[in-house]
Amino acid sequence: MRTLRAWLHRLGGSFVSSRRDRDFDDELESHLQLHIADKIRSGMTAAEARREALIALGGVAVTRDRYRDRRGFPVVAHLAQDLRFAARLFRRSPGFTLTAIVTTMLAVGVNVAIFSAFNAAAFRPLQLPDAGRLVAISTRFEGHRRRNVHGAPSLLSLQEFEAVRDQARAFDSLVAFAPFNPVTLGGRDPKQILATAASCGYFAALRVYPALGRDLAASDCVKGAQPVVVISDSLWRSSFSGDPSIVGRIVTLNRTSFLVVGVAPRGFTGTQLVTEDAFVPLSAQPLLDHNWSQVDGTTASWLMVMGHLRDGAAISTARADLDVIAARLSAAARSGNPDLTEHLDASAATMSALPEIRSIVLGVGFTLVAGVGLVLIIACANIANLLLARARARRREIAVRLSLGASRGRLVQQLLTESLVLAALGGAAGFLAASWGTPVLVRYLLAHLPPGSWPMVFDPRPDGRVLAYAIGLTLVTGVAFGLVPAMQTTKDAMLDFKTTTSTDRRSSRRLQSVLITVQVATCLTLLLSAGLLARGLYRANTADPGVAMNGVSVVSYDLANAGYTPAAAQALQARVLERLSTVAGVTSVAETTATPLSDQHSQTDFRLPGSDEVHMIEFSQVTPEFFDLLHIPIAQGRNFLPGEVASEGAVIVSDTTARRLWPGRDPLQQTLILDKVARPVVGVVHDPRISHLGRAGDSYVFLPLGPDSQVRATWLVAGSQPPSPRDLQAAVRAVDPGLAVDVAPLADNLETWRSPSRLAASLAAGLALLALILALTGIFGTVAYAVSRRLREIGIRVAIGAAHADVLRLIVRQGMSPVIIGIGIGLAGAAAAAGLFEAMLFGLSPYDPVSFVLAPLGFFAVALAACYAPARRALRVEPTVALRAE
Amino acid sequence: MGRDKPDVWQGTLSLMILKTLESMGPLHGYGIARRIEQTSGNQLLVNYGTIYPALLKLEQEGAIESDWGVSDNNRRAKFYRLTRAGRKEVERSTREWEQATAILSRFLAPGERS
Repeated sequence: MRTLRAWLHRLGGSFVSSRRDRDFDDELESHLQLHIADKIRSGMTAAEARREALIALGGVAVTRDRYRDRRGFPVVAHLAQDLRFAARLFRRSPGFTLTAIVTTMLAVGVNVAIFSAFNAAAFRPLQLPDAGRLVAISTRFEGHRRRNVHGAPSLLSLQEFEAVRDQARAFDSLVAFAPFNPVTLGGRDPKQILATAASCGYFAALRVYPALGRDLAASDCVKGAQPVVVISDSLWRSSFSGDPSIVGRIVTLNRTSFLVVGVAPRGFTGTQLVTEDAFVPLSAQPLLDHNWSQVDGTTASWLMVMGHLRDGAAISTARADLDVIAARLSAAARSGNPDLTEHLDASAATMSALPEIRSIVLGVGFTLVAGVGLVLIIACANIANLLLARARARRREIAVRLSLGASRGRLVQQLLTESLVLAALGGAAGFLAASWGTPVLVRYLLAHLPPGSWPMVFDPRPDGRVLAYAIGLTLVTGVAFGLVPAMQTTKDAMLDFKTTTSTDRRSSRRLQSVLITVQVATCLTLLLSAGLLARGLYRANTADPGVAMNGVSVVSYDLANAGYTPAAAQALQARVLERLSTVAGVTSVAETTATPLSDQHSQTDFRLPGSDEVHMIEFSQVTPEFFDLLHIPIAQGRNFLPGEVASEGAVIVSDTTARRLWPGRDPLQQTLILDKVARPVVGVVHDPRISHLGRAGDSYVFLPLGPDSQVRATWLVAGSQPPSPRDLQAAVRAVDPGLAVDVAPLADNLETWRSPSRLAASLAAGLALLALILALTGIFGTVAYAVSRRLREIGIRVAIGAAHADVLRLIVRQGMSPVIIGIGIGLAGAAAAAGLFEAMLFGLSPYDPVSFVLAPLGFFAVALAACYAPARRALRVEPTVALRAE
Repeated sequence: MGRDKPDVWQGTLSLMILKTLESMGPLHGYGIARRIEQTSGNQLLVNYGTIYPALLKLEQEGAIESDWGVSDNNRRAKFYRLTRAGRKEVERSTREWEQATAILSRFLAPGERS
């Protein structure tokens, strides 16, 4: 208690106050006066008495020091002293201070922003109450195993989920679910939404509770039970206008009636990136997707499984449980397959709980973290250079302090305190900017997803982990840019102190050159990447898609999920065609299984007669009107004939395909084999470029779209004036009012290509700009530093008659040589990196000469300017002044 | 200088200060230093300056408190006086010291064997 009290007093006393100092000075003075008065009374002269009193006291300065040390903690006191000193210094050189703080802010801010997004995607528990106790379970096989996979191989089968649910002790609740099922919500205006099939007790296991109604109950999961659904809050508000009596109403999903039993709490849209609007029992899964039913098939991978740890259980408990269960499953599965071993893995439930997704997210995340880490390195190198340059001005001060008895360690402590204060200010600003900016940026991106994307939720708000990362990064930054200059400066100052002349030390100059080279190389890599991506983006915006996209509308709906058999689909499509043709403004209508530049193009294996070689070629099925509608000329041969459409028994190939498969031969004499049927080539089209924007020279094959494939067809509608989407939708609805009809301009497909390149180009441009500013400040600072160190030499040179131009050349050459080396390394780095984003260049060569010449030249020019400005300062100095500078 | 006089270490100095304040009442730093010197019969060499960190420590611990006042010969000086906690502290420390010296003296007493 006593000690604590004293400790608190001392902590407070560590912060020097002049009032307290004065108080003690007064006390000492009164002490001396009392003593002197005594001595005078015993017969001494005033002078003698004062001398005696001082001796008896043991020295005023020493007493004062001891008193001060006792008053506070020396280390804390020194720190407080250093902080005050640093504040004073910063006030005196606001330009330097601001540069250092802003540099750190930008570098730390960018790093924290990227990390907070990475953290939210990969490490942060789901945004659910008590998500810290949620565990995701995945499966992994050793040995060969044939098993159907729907989604990812690490998903569990129903049988495996039931084994875990019944046998694991570590969990108080377990849930299995299959998200991402597009379904049609019926009604006056049918629309596509995403539905999750979930085991009963889904909401309870995730610790969220329906805002209205109830959870999916055990009775709902029984086979043959009335299908029920819990809808999301946003669907409830948007499609049912927040009807408070929604529970108990019937809604239709894929034309099946579902009883609404609950509304999920506001903001809950499942556990994935993409938002889910409906939650139905697992037993209702076959109703969501008419093409496959998993409920009865026991071995397919299709379920995500999460468990909530019971009180007192840790994830290690869960792992032990799962190991036992996996061993039992392996034993059961091993009959006839002795090498097979199944593992069940547990990991904290995050947004990327699935191992397949986690490995992608970690890969991308660490790449980005490394990329922005480069920016941080540039920033550190930069501030270190500035500090080194500034230290020149302070060498005298430091030498004086050394000579007055300060230890080198104490001086390093002081210099480090200064840089840590700079880093802390910049880091705090960067953290705040990132915490505010990242969510804004992400919201913007999510609001501008390419047309046709499902809505997503992603909240990159920083948590404790991000804060810790920011603090750690800031400390590392402060030490990284502060330590080397502090050591160097005190070392130089010690030399000054001993020799009284200052020499430019080779080691520190070499250090600076390396720092500059690193900065330039990194910066140029980023600049070039940005330049390439920007040119790629320009190309994406101007590239000729090779087909007439303007004025064409896409009309699509999902017939398979609406319960259509191929025969029923054929009848429906014939009536829809009639209706579409009569819509005002429509001039032509075609069908296809893959609209141009969409992601629907698939590959399949074609063979040539008399050969077993498989040719994987992209293809789609189209009606004969397709070529006219999109202005794709048939260069040789002819279009499909009605008989060929009916039998789907012919192909039209692209000229690249023809050249590759039958070099030097007439393609019209050839046949292609697909599904064991030989199909004659009836026509050749010139490079359609319809599967990848701006990529020419790919093989492509068109097959006729006949009656049997109607269930997969999408309409393309062209008109003299673009037909109104409402009319097109109405035309389909007139035939079947229950279909969710999507009408979109065909040109929207271009956006899918442009938006990633726009994002990549802006990200790279932002980083490159940042790196450019940093590198230029760095070059400027280094040359300024070099000039200030060599004033004397320059003075001598000028005094003995060197021409100004020669001196200038000398300095600029020295400043530019690390820059030129850096440019060389940067070019190599960019060339290596360019291959990574070839896909975003739309036919532009990754070694695009324009970028590879302009960027280095431009960089060279600005670097030269950054060199020249401080170099000129040297010439303005009078030789005599320069000589006296020492 | 003064190698033949024992150093005063912190703990004992504190006790001496407290005892002095207990017997003399409120006193300034110079007075305390003089008093300790006199009481020890000039056996203890006290650099008067060392009294002040010791006073500060006692004040931080709450055993004493201080105030500016006027001395006998009309000079301004800072006076220290015992607090209630300080009085208890004197009792406790005195007891401890007595025990310690009693034990030690048994070791130092000549020729006694058990």
